[in-house]
Amino acid sequence: MRRSFVSLMTAMTFLVIAVTGVLAFVRPFSMTIVGLHALMGFVFIGVVGFHLANNLRPLKRYLRSKWMWINLAVTAALTTAIALQPQPVKALLGLSGNLGPALDRFELHDEGLTYQYTPAPHYKLTLSVRMGDAFDPADPPEFAIWIENSSFYHIKTLHRPEAADNEASLPYWSFKVKEYEKAKLAAAAGVDVDAISGATKNSSFDPADYMLPVDPEEPMPYRILVEINQPGDASEAVDDQPSLIYSVEVDNSDPHAFQLLDLIGYPQLEEDEQPPQWAIYYVDQRFDSALELIDSALLTIDRDKPAD
Amino acid sequence: MKPHDAQPDRRNFLQHSLLGTAGAGMALASTSHVTVAAETQGEESPDATITNRVDVLVVGGGTAGTIAAIQAGRAGAKTMLVERGSQLGGTMTTGGVAFPGLFDAWGKQVIAGIGWELVRESVELDGGQLPNFAKVPQRHWQNQVYTNQFLYAILAEEKCHEAGVELAYYEFPQAAKRVADGWQVDCVGFGTQRRILCKQIIDCTGGAEVVGMLGFDRLREEVRQPGSMLFKIGEEHQPGREQVHRLYVHGADSSNSRTVTQANLTGRRSVLAKVRAEKKRLMHLQPETGFRESYRIVGETMVTVNDYTSGRQFDDAISNAFYPVDLHTKTGVRPKPLKPGTVPTIPLGALIPKGSRDLIVAGRCLCSDQLANSGLRVQASCMGMGQAAGVAASLAAQTGTTPMEVPLAEIHKVLREHGAIIPGKA
Repeated sequence: MRRSFVSLMTAMTFLVIAVTGVLAFVRPFSMTIVGLHALMGFVFIGVVGFHLANNLRPLKRYLRSKWMWINLAVTAALTTAIALQPQPVKALLGLSGNLGPALDRFELHDEGLTYQYTPAPHYKLTLSVRMGDAFDPADPPEFAIWIENSSFYHIKTLHRPEAADNEASLPYWSFKVKEYEKAKLAAAAGVDVDAISGATKNSSFDPADYMLPVDPEEPMPYRILVEINQPGDASEAVDDQPSLIYSVEVDNSDPHAFQLLDLIGYPQLEEDEQPPQWAIYYVDQRFDSALELIDSALLTIDRDKPAD
Repeated sequence: MKPHDAQPDRRNFLQHSLLGTAGAGMALASTSHVTVAAETQGEESPDATITNRVDVLVVGGGTAGTIAAIQAGRAGAKTMLVERGSQLGGTMTTGGVAFPGLFDAWGKQVIAGIGWELVRESVELDGGQLPNFAKVPQRHWQNQVYTNQFLYAILAEEKCHEAGVELAYYEFPQAAKRVADGWQVDCVGFGTQRRILCKQIIDCTGGAEVVGMLGFDRLREEVRQPGSMLFKIGEEHQPGREQVHRLYVHGADSSNSRTVTQANLTGRRSVLAKVRAEKKRLMHLQPETGFRESYRIVGETMVTVNDYTSGRQFDDAISNAFYPVDLHTKTGVRPKPLKPGTVPTIPLGALIPKGSRDLIVAGRCLCSDQLANSGLRVQASCMGMGQAAGVAASLAAQTGTTPMEVPLAEIHKVLREHGAIIPGKA
């Protein structure tokens, strides 16, 4: 192909990719910008192929130079650093105005913890858990955050515990996740899963259907749950107090900017059921310090009008 | 039974009905058992005119009325219960909504008393299972109590008899007016004209029919919630173990015999269409639509949805209530749960028709807005109201005053003696 055309084409497509890349970083998420950036990337790859073919000789010279290896090492180091996202990189990314279609951030700090989830630029969800007297930031409790549909079916885990073995410390969340996996398999196999049918149409496994309903006339309520547990914390009655479940229902047809999570109980295995099931029971006199892990948990949702 | 002042002697009644006194009553026979329905009535004219003098007249033997009558009788009032149908229990038995709720909230029982006693005994006699109130239900209805509707109806009758309540089935009031020492209510049934002279009336008709007859104001929504026709196709119905299927009867209106007829016809037609479409056997069908709402009184106090959802503790609270705001519409229902810890209360003033004396209501026709009513109308709440109305009316009859003027402490005291839970003290 003509050298001048290919060179100019390479430069132009690179320009579009560079500009859309910067825009994607500083601006809120936009499918137009991201689409332009990605698709123009494919064009760029094609044009670069022609560009390489036109400049094969000088390129071979570069490959034989020591700069080739230096270049490779620097690129590999940068790629690894950005991919692993250590704190400085995270902080840098945090400056981005584009929180992506489903970006989440979790932060443990002196006052407790904050979890942010932004499934869309116009829907920003922040869960601020203020620690209670029994919450030790140096030895923070295990916890999971997840959303369920109005049939109480796990839909998405927003934050999972650090510990690998969380079945013991957070049994209710573990059970819910397993149920979800089973139901998803059953749904994929075309089996009618009665547990997810209800008065409302909520048999979907897509969190967006609940958080960002396509049809604003039919928003589906969902609930956010937190299971928290400080393993090994004894009370007068027991050697290890069970985990506690906090919950709040979110109804986009009746929007609230601020909602407090309520303590709904503790999980207990019902061995009589076949197969055994975890159920939630109201808290009883066995609990003391476990009730002090959380002072309050506030859910804040910013709902901007979505861009057309 | 004597044609005048026919109040049955409790001991005689039990002897006659349970031991099978010989007589020419309506005998029901099978190959092995013969049961005599009652003492002979052979001398009576087929269109007998009867007069009763009672302290308390309860009109409507449904969810609230049954409990109100038993309570009034137990509190010592001479009580009569008039029911247009053939059995007690109303929505639970004739409508088939035999899964009453909710007696508990947030891990503890908030409604007990006579209604709970009946439900509990029905379940126990049936070998059923009571829910564990300490468990957080995934859905509010999971703490409803699966009850055998047939047993409930018979047990309710037994408790009425034990409390000395006279039952009059297949009768309904035709006219009511004030007389010197209370009310005169003329009822009609097939072959029966009955005049009842009473000191107090408890209107438990569901639609405040007596209140309307007496000319007091009532409320009614332009669009009422659909009724439910309960049925089961394909497999056997197990009373007391499960809920039956149901379909909405839109436009269901329990205001009068014509609209009730229409609702039943519509419901049955829909069931028939379903049977034909699904080509399955019809295994169970309730005889009547379960109606959700009709007229409500204009009372001394109105319970608004804000009162309900905030769990307002009324100064004259006489019972608790618990259920989500549960408005059924043409497109379905999405219950709005109450916030944790919230237990609404029912004030005495919401049971008293505004400006009335010697008249009280119980059940879904209490004074409330439509959204509050959608939560208040459920059976446990109606039972709680019924018991409170029974106490208020019996005390008013004893002391010659009106329910609204009976000291609240007295009402609470008698309620407590009969096992009820007083609001704020659950």
